[in-house]
Amino acid sequence: MMITGVKVTLILLAATTVTSLTLGTVIAIMRISRIKILRVLGTLYVEIFRNIPGLFWILFFYFVFPDILPWGLGAKLNAYLHYPIVAGILGLTVDNASYVSDILRSGRLAIPHGQREAAISTGLSRVQQYLHVLLPQMFRVTLPPLGTRMVHNFKNTSLCMAIAAPELTWATQNIESLTFRGIEATTIATLFYIFLAGIMVSMIILLEKWWKIDVSSMSQSKA
Amino acid sequence: MDLLEQFSNIKFYLLGSYPQGEIGGLLLNIILAVLTICLSFWFGVLLGYSRLSCRLYIKLPCMAYIETVRATPLIMIIFWIYFFLPYIAGTNITVFWSAVASLCIYAAAYQAEIVRAGIIAVPKGQLEAALSTGMSRYRAMRHVILPQAFRIMVPSFLSFFVSLFKDTSTVFIIGVIELTQAGIIISQREPNKMYAAYVCMGLGFWIVSFSISQLARRLEKRIGIFDLESYRPDACRDEFMLLPKKKVTGEETGPDMSCRSADSR
Repeated sequence: MMITGVKVTLILLAATTVTSLTLGTVIAIMRISRIKILRVLGTLYVEIFRNIPGLFWILFFYFVFPDILPWGLGAKLNAYLHYPIVAGILGLTVDNASYVSDILRSGRLAIPHGQREAAISTGLSRVQQYLHVLLPQMFRVTLPPLGTRMVHNFKNTSLCMAIAAPELTWATQNIESLTFRGIEATTIATLFYIFLAGIMVSMIILLEKWWKIDVSSMSQSKA
Repeated sequence: MDLLEQFSNIKFYLLGSYPQGEIGGLLLNIILAVLTICLSFWFGVLLGYSRLSCRLYIKLPCMAYIETVRATPLIMIIFWIYFFLPYIAGTNITVFWSAVASLCIYAAAYQAEIVRAGIIAVPKGQLEAALSTGMSRYRAMRHVILPQAFRIMVPSFLSFFVSLFKDTSTVFIIGVIELTQAGIIISQREPNKMYAAYVCMGLGFWIVSFSISQLARRLEKRIGIFDLESYRPDACRDEFMLLPKKKVTGEETGPDMSCRSADSR
């Protein structure tokens, strides 16, 4: 049971990291685009999703979302055995993406103006500008806060126990109610969380060193 | 009419079953958040300051505490307090207080980090100047560094308050009837009101945290904390910061002298 829990937690972690980074990037680009409607939509998204707890979104995607879906899709979803995991992924993603997009947007503001001008003058198209010049730098500048956010997201996966997604926290509760060996299970789970968070942090530090981020030189060149 | 019927439980979302029973709903969320921030602030200052200490036996336990708590999900802390504190301590505490306790443990670690960052952000010359005027380390911290550090901390402090307010929704897991739990109860008891329940939950959280973050944004602009370059000590209300000014204007009675005469009396 514990091992399934670890597996599901890891699945949740991997899936939400990838999806929320993607969605967050899209929304960050929307928020800095020149088209006003996109900007307004992006800002609206961030303001709505940032100010409501992630737990609400998880519950929302589990209980309400299948009800809204047309064409009987909802019934199919409800019948799907692993729907709690899917709902957890959806809820965590929309919650985390708003933070990611905010962080990335601040990263865009930190990039010197000359970079964009240089990209235009070499004849890159707008898509190419983002793909090859702006986005890599945005990720590089914002790596520390982005990493913190990802660790936070990892901890938030424990909220999925509210909808009975069989992840680690849920498993410990289950063990507690079946065998009354709650303390052992919870200790192991807590240690696992601390261990994995430590691994994530050290990975981020390694990545920082690897990319050789020097924020101070960045701000100097901006001035 | 039908719509009004849908939202007939609005009082339960806002206050819980308050006049008849315990306070609940959104009000409980706000109470939890405010209580937690008031209690954990002092622990946060203590921890954050101790983490900067040069003595290892003070620094290491604080570091261990902060890093451990920050790496543990809030739910885990809540479980530890709620289920296992009675085992270990042999005492029973109510759901509400165990929620406050676990939120405090959680918040103290984060606030400690905010305090530490604030203290580090004060220019090093300030401490050196304070020490060179003959202040003790404690007085330098108390009167020179901390007032400035608190000004720097205000934005991150407020944004942490917003996130703490949202985190209070997590305590529904041990059956505290706050807004999330109220919504779940209603949507299970009266399934036809499910949409209304979720709208109320979302709107309740959204309105409160949006207004706090808006307030924070305005406050940030007014204080103008980020331009330390143009930081004027005379704008600070702490009396100690006014000291050099007084010395220039009134020559014979500096506050230093009055302090000494008070001592001799």
